[in-house]
Amino acid sequence: MGCKVDYKKINKILTELSKEYDIYAPKRFLKAGRYSDTDIIRYDIIEKAEDIVFDEKSDFPAKEVLGPITQTLFYFTEDEYRESKVSSKKILIFMRPCDINAMEHQNKIYLQNGGYADLYYQRLQEKVKIVLMECSKGWDTCFCVSMGTNKTDEYSIAVRSENDGWLVDVKDDEFKKYFEGEETSFDLQFVEENELEVKIPEIKNKAILTKLKTHPMWKEFNSRCISCGACTIACSTCTCFTTTDIVYDENGNVGERRRTAASCQIDGFTDVAGGGKYRTTPGDRMRYKVLHKFHDYKARFKDYHMCVGCGRCIDRCPEFISIVTTVEKMAKAIEEIEKEEC
Amino acid sequence: MNKDIDVKKTRINNFRQSKVPGEFMLQLRMPGNLIEAKYLDVIKHIAETWGDGLFHVGTRQTLNATGIKYENIPAVNEYIEKYITEIEALSDVDMNKVGLDHQEWDPKSGYPTIGARNIMACIGNKHCIKGNCDTTGIARKIEPLIFPSHYHIKIACAGCPNDCVKANFNDFGVMGVSKMTYHPERCIGCGACARACEHHATRVLSLNDKGKIDKDTCCCVGCGECVIACPTGAWTRSTEKFYRVTLGGRTGKKDPRSGKLFLNWIKEEPLLQMFGNWTKFSAWVMDNKPQYLHGGHLIDMAGYHKFKEIILEGVELNPECLVAENIYWAENEQRGNSHLIPLEKHAKAGPR
Amino acid sequence: MMNPIKPIPCEILEVKKETELEWTFKVKTDVVPHHGQFMQLSIPKVGEAPISISAFGDGWMDFTIRAVGKVTDSIFNKKPGDTLFLRGPYGNGWPFNEQFKGKHLVFITGGTGLAPVRSMLNKCYNGDVAKSVTLISGFKNEEGIVFKEQLNEWKNKFTTFYTLDRDQIEGWNVGFVTEYVSKVDFEAFNGDYEVILVGPPPMMKFTAQEAMKCGVPEEKIWVSYERKMSCAIGKCGHCRIDEVYVCLDGPVFNYTVAKDLVD
Repeated sequence: MGCKVDYKKINKILTELSKEYDIYAPKRFLKAGRYSDTDIIRYDIIEKAEDIVFDEKSDFPAKEVLGPITQTLFYFTEDEYRESKVSSKKILIFMRPCDINAMEHQNKIYLQNGGYADLYYQRLQEKVKIVLMECSKGWDTCFCVSMGTNKTDEYSIAVRSENDGWLVDVKDDEFKKYFEGEETSFDLQFVEENELEVKIPEIKNKAILTKLKTHPMWKEFNSRCISCGACTIACSTCTCFTTTDIVYDENGNVGERRRTAASCQIDGFTDVAGGGKYRTTPGDRMRYKVLHKFHDYKARFKDYHMCVGCGRCIDRCPEFISIVTTVEKMAKAIEEIEKEEC
Repeated sequence: MNKDIDVKKTRINNFRQSKVPGEFMLQLRMPGNLIEAKYLDVIKHIAETWGDGLFHVGTRQTLNATGIKYENIPAVNEYIEKYITEIEALSDVDMNKVGLDHQEWDPKSGYPTIGARNIMACIGNKHCIKGNCDTTGIARKIEPLIFPSHYHIKIACAGCPNDCVKANFNDFGVMGVSKMTYHPERCIGCGACARACEHHATRVLSLNDKGKIDKDTCCCVGCGECVIACPTGAWTRSTEKFYRVTLGGRTGKKDPRSGKLFLNWIKEEPLLQMFGNWTKFSAWVMDNKPQYLHGGHLIDMAGYHKFKEIILEGVELNPECLVAENIYWAENEQRGNSHLIPLEKHAKAGPR
Repeated sequence: MMNPIKPIPCEILEVKKETELEWTFKVKTDVVPHHGQFMQLSIPKVGEAPISISAFGDGWMDFTIRAVGKVTDSIFNKKPGDTLFLRGPYGNGWPFNEQFKGKHLVFITGGTGLAPVRSMLNKCYNGDVAKSVTLISGFKNEEGIVFKEQLNEWKNKFTTFYTLDRDQIEGWNVGFVTEYVSKVDFEAFNGDYEVILVGPPPMMKFTAQEAMKCGVPEEKIWVSYERKMSCAIGKCGHCRIDEVYVCLDGPVFNYTVAKDLVD
């Protein structure tokens, strides 16, 4: 059961909620796109319903809310590291099913991997409540159905945006008081079919994996991929980062330790101070990323593939490299390798 | 054929004399260099009906038909009424004037002047990933300020300082630039912007030891390569458009030269106010008697300071706008010292 | 909430110059690591780097550091009494107690690859924990030799092959460590042995191949990896190879696993 709320009332509710929550949603940044007179849609704190972009996919994923591109870890003096602080407010995030499912992967890396919980992620994640943005059609670069991430029931509130207001389904009692009103039926929809479909090939054993790594298919990317890392920044599930110490002024002893999103696609990702360097070609790096999303992650955590099929890497690649086409090529390569085996 | 033809008149009418006696080449304007493809039928029809069946893309981006017989000019002019009206309407041009004077246009008579040349443009941000502005749009806004007029002026609009349209060789080169904003919190320190700037532009960016970018703002040309290269959106263009204007560029047999930077970071409104003063300036230099002399020569005659005084009269420059205090021309003389001539032969500016 | 990446200040007790570029820092700490684990060393303003523990004892740890980067260069400016920031220990070390003790142990190291096995060599030297110890240790040149006194000392108890890549000096062989693998009489160990390899990646690869040629089975070969790390707790992703995180699952790997880890 749901209820219908007009925009006037929604904005009142959002104002009310803002006292307790930082409300994040995909927001339009006019003319802030890569090319002149193009916009960017990315997550930011919103104040009113009109700020939220429902009818377009955001260029950057929801992961930026809990894992900002740049984050301060410690403030330090010569003899002390002091943890950075966060806002006392709770966090409400408007997300589509792909982003909600991606958060599960983020949780797994940041909270579980190796038995360590990352404090900086954890302290934000614990405060999050989710508003599901109904997503019933998707876009031409989406393949969530193939990845099984088109559906979710991990949300406190579900919202369908309509011309005259929102249809709302409130699951979480905490929010029920805000939405008392006329009851309407709200049959929440999910994407049932994408234009893009992909079958993820199975890599049956290490021998095939090893052969796949040196398969000539990856060479294509040596000339096509420019190693900019846009795909990994746009990726809903990538989590890598690098830490850097900075000093506020040249002679001062105070500064901070930050972490900044890193990309396995960018040259230097593996550089060890002593001179060690791995995956030196764009093809090697592409192979590393693709195998992580469609093999390695699942091999480690024994459940799902990492990729959630949001397609943002396709949207953001300045060289038009499609992850779907790449996986298809990989499937073909595996088939070849298997044939050779027998 | 009795060849009594006033070629000066046909030239003003945008029919250029051919080496074949009695033949002419029509030049159709298309300011901003982007029109509906249907207009290609117009030039096709002209070429096949009155011309020699050939079509030439004019060096100033006009649609040209060669081999038009002198006696067919009136028929061609009658036929192009619709084209001229529709195309010039895209720029809100008042056809009932020439220069500063009101002059009723006979729609059947073809183009009333050749003075202000077709405003050239690259494809701009309509299509180009490097473009910072709508070059067609800005050309069409300049068009009514300079056309129709017997005062010669060549303008080209480039989407970025790469200047594919060679605005540098026009009297005025208008180039779309942006003032970039850096969002350090989105920067991952990959250095892609610094590499792009070094490779394509003026090397004003560098990666510092904090993993962020330092910028030498003074020498930024505003091209936007950093924005294009950034994987995270840490660089964004200004929402408002800015322009870089070069002055006095030209080709020629005597003293070709590349234009010099005249205005930087000017916004659209003052830019258009500035072009609004062009006719007034030309009229002053030539004492209201137009001659076949291009804009750059008029600036030479008046001197840069006089030019600056008149062209910026009443122009409300935006605070970011920088203006050349002096211009140090650097002609590439076709013949050494050809600029040295007896004093009495020097061109003179101002009232005669 | 616990913060697993918070560095703890520790006092430097002693600094020993092994070579021009490799110094050993003895640091005061109560942390008791396993052989082969590593710590994250921090210098505020400069950064953090994973460093293997080159020896440890009651209330102290040794780090043998090569000055090759921002952090390590800055550590070289520190003197006894100064503070180093530490967190850890991290990673899977050598299965010393579980698999190595009481066997014939063959250590093969290249350059500072000697550091991560040094604590085990000390243990073997100071007590009867192994049936026998063979140490094949190679360095590029004379200037690069670390733990000189100990290398000499170890000769007393271990079978040793010390070699320099090209230089000829008294008491040392010339050539790569790979050339000395076949000098070990593996058959005499009667299957009761383990081979421990540490060094640059190509050295480990060729040495492992050489050992296998001598009949050493994969599962008796152990290696230790060095990778870029920002967190050491499986978050930053820099050290991942396939489904393995070097910081969590390594740095020590059995060769049955390591042979398939293609970067």
